[in-house]
Amino acid sequence: MKTGLGIALAALLATGQAYAAGTTLNVGMASADAGKLDPHVATSTPDKGLLHWMFNGLVRIKPGEANPEFIEPDIATSWTTSEDGLTWVFSLRDDVKCHGDYGTIDAEAVVYSLNRSANADISAFAKDYAAFESVEATGPLEVTIKLKNKIPSLLGLLVPYHGGNIVCKDAVEALGDEFQRTPIGTGPFMFAEYQPQQYVKLVANPDYFRGEPKIKEIFYRYIPSDSSRDLAFQAGEVDMIYGKQEQTWVERIKQVPGAVVSVMTPGEMSVIHLNMKMPPLDDLRVRQAVAHAISRDAMVQFKGPDVTLAALSPVPEGNLGFTDDVPIYEYSVEKAKALLAEAGHPDGVTIKAIHTTLPGMLTTMEAIQALLREASINLEIETVEHATFHEQIRKDMSQVTHYAAARFPVADVYLSQFYHSAAIVGTPTAVANFSHCAVADAEIEAARVEGDLQKQLEYWAEAQRKIMAEVCVVPIVQSMQLWAWKDTLDLGVEVNGSLNLSPPVTEAASFSQ
Amino acid sequence: MTAFVLKRLGFAAITLFAVLTIVFFIVRVLPGDPAMAILGDQASQSALEALRVRLGLDVPLYQQYFVFLGGVVVGDWGVSMVSGRPVIEEILKVLPATIELTVASLILGIVVGVPIGVWSAVRRNKLPDYLARIGSLLGLSFPAFVSAVLLLLFFSIHLRWFPVISSGQGSGLADRLRDLALPAINLGLIMAAYITRVTRSAMLEVLNQDYVRTARAKGLAFAIIVWRHCLRNALIPVVTVVGLYLGILIGNSVLTEIVFNRPGLGKLIVGALNQRDYTMLQGMMVIYTLIVVLVNLITDLTYGLIDPRIKYS
Repeated sequence: MKTGLGIALAALLATGQAYAAGTTLNVGMASADAGKLDPHVATSTPDKGLLHWMFNGLVRIKPGEANPEFIEPDIATSWTTSEDGLTWVFSLRDDVKCHGDYGTIDAEAVVYSLNRSANADISAFAKDYAAFESVEATGPLEVTIKLKNKIPSLLGLLVPYHGGNIVCKDAVEALGDEFQRTPIGTGPFMFAEYQPQQYVKLVANPDYFRGEPKIKEIFYRYIPSDSSRDLAFQAGEVDMIYGKQEQTWVERIKQVPGAVVSVMTPGEMSVIHLNMKMPPLDDLRVRQAVAHAISRDAMVQFKGPDVTLAALSPVPEGNLGFTDDVPIYEYSVEKAKALLAEAGHPDGVTIKAIHTTLPGMLTTMEAIQALLREASINLEIETVEHATFHEQIRKDMSQVTHYAAARFPVADVYLSQFYHSAAIVGTPTAVANFSHCAVADAEIEAARVEGDLQKQLEYWAEAQRKIMAEVCVVPIVQSMQLWAWKDTLDLGVEVNGSLNLSPPVTEAASFSQ
Repeated sequence: MTAFVLKRLGFAAITLFAVLTIVFFIVRVLPGDPAMAILGDQASQSALEALRVRLGLDVPLYQQYFVFLGGVVVGDWGVSMVSGRPVIEEILKVLPATIELTVASLILGIVVGVPIGVWSAVRRNKLPDYLARIGSLLGLSFPAFVSAVLLLLFFSIHLRWFPVISSGQGSGLADRLRDLALPAINLGLIMAAYITRVTRSAMLEVLNQDYVRTARAKGLAFAIIVWRHCLRNALIPVVTVVGLYLGILIGNSVLTEIVFNRPGLGKLIVGALNQRDYTMLQGMMVIYTLIVVLVNLITDLTYGLIDPRIKYS
């Protein structure tokens, strides 16, 4: 009897045996549950991170990098472009199989997938493909894309990110609505199981065209509590975790034996948009005073030097088109006060910001508030719930808007969404131009259709210089993506960045023991 | 008895209708746009408008309301705006986990709380009483998420007895018990603290009754007086508290589910609130209301079992 009880107790208390090592990768993601797992619909970081390991594009950014300058073939083996840059012809591999029994990828399948991405009734990213005139199968393994006008980075739209993920036609048609719960791709890992609020299980794709993955299964576990995720990593129950964008997280996780902490691009850039239509910010000197009163070095120290970079330009560092050759407003309380006095505000000014209650963003804004106070700039912060914040700033209700965002790393995206006059909030074509900035429209538009990369880069650089000269915005810091994994996990590539915000787990990844 | 139950069920239907109506309108006056929550902040105005049409949010509110009510009546609670999965399916998948945790916590709370409450009352103003009162006060004042992290640190990290992730590690009985242990202890101890205090208070009142003095004068064993006669008479307020607290327990399970990473209604409702998932929120409210109504009904019926003098009419 005692022996029986002992065995039962041992079985009850024995932990860890369910975490098969060697070929099973357990990942802890900061989310309560999966969302829509259709890559043409998924917009959240947790969903994109998972789909990253299941899909291919016509081209891809080299695993471990996030910058489009590292674009290389994926499903396409090669491509050509016409002299006017409006016609692109892609030759495809002949050995790309869809997961399960959903056939192979040929030109028709690619045409179907790209047309689906451009369909606003289905795709969340349709507007990215607005410049597509046609996508045609011009051979069994040849696809021709014709554009209405030149766009900054056609290849950027064809990497496995958002609408660039190639879905399998047979699977989409056979599964219908179920496709968003059972994603079928061509990548190294295949969807196997979903347990609500617990995990999505992926298994190795034995027919993957780059070879069968060494890791045989992935449990993508939804662990919303930061402390629980860290403890699970510490206890060895997960091999890889999504990090918290804090210096203390990096310092704490580095103490865990055998932990590798990865700081990846693209970073989420925090900026302060200054509404140029609202007094006193309609005066350039007041905006310059605000810029002089904010110390980027102090903000980097505040946010953590291991997890942030100082932001210099309206476009994040690492984006194609970024330049640091822009007007820089060095930290100087004296200059700030002098500019205010010159503008007729010798006793300082009061400006107001509607701000989210999200703690990570609010503490940043409070630090900025303290810096501005030194220069007699009284920043009044009205806090509202996050959804209300988004609603109100888009109704043009805030003088100062603190915004943090990561975008596809091509300068045009940031410039168009935040600094082109068409994107001014409160207008029918509004996106996120909170400052009413309209000084660089000509350069932004010229860069979009410029075929010569050098000229395109110069247009983007000039746009950034103009935006900074007008102080539409004060860039603050760039917060990097943080992940940690066990040192026994070898991803097979050096990891500097990831467009889909999760580390590249490919056919090359393996455990060393 | 049957008439009583039918009458209560009738009231329950009215309550449910009222809750559904209130919830329907409250979730729609909450700030935030479901379309933007789904498509993200890069979506164009036209894409947002198109999604609102697809979600049926473009039609007048009263039409949305009648469509919703009609759906509830025929058992169609719609699909989640975020995941696209049927609401009822999503809820039913995690409901057993919440019920499992709640029942386990309840049993633990009763098994620990009632004896300690009785012991504390019998040893009034002596060391056991002081210990029980201090212990129950700590249990009531300790935030559930703090005790949860402390339990994890001690039992999962230091002793390695239990997993940090209390879900999905296996389907056997031993696995499930191991998964359940720490979350149930965390919630159960809070429940035990409540029950200890109520039991002690009720027992103190009963112990001063004339019939207890008479029983002692007749030489009846003290243990029999306490456990057979006093406790039964003290149970009515305990059952009331357990019934009331059960609803709170389900609500308190939110943090426990998140910290121990268990599936459940708590995690579902937090996600639905963050994403402004109207259909999911409505479905959740139906379930919560049903649970509270059902628990209250069971509590009322239990009174009759404990005290035969109580009649239902």
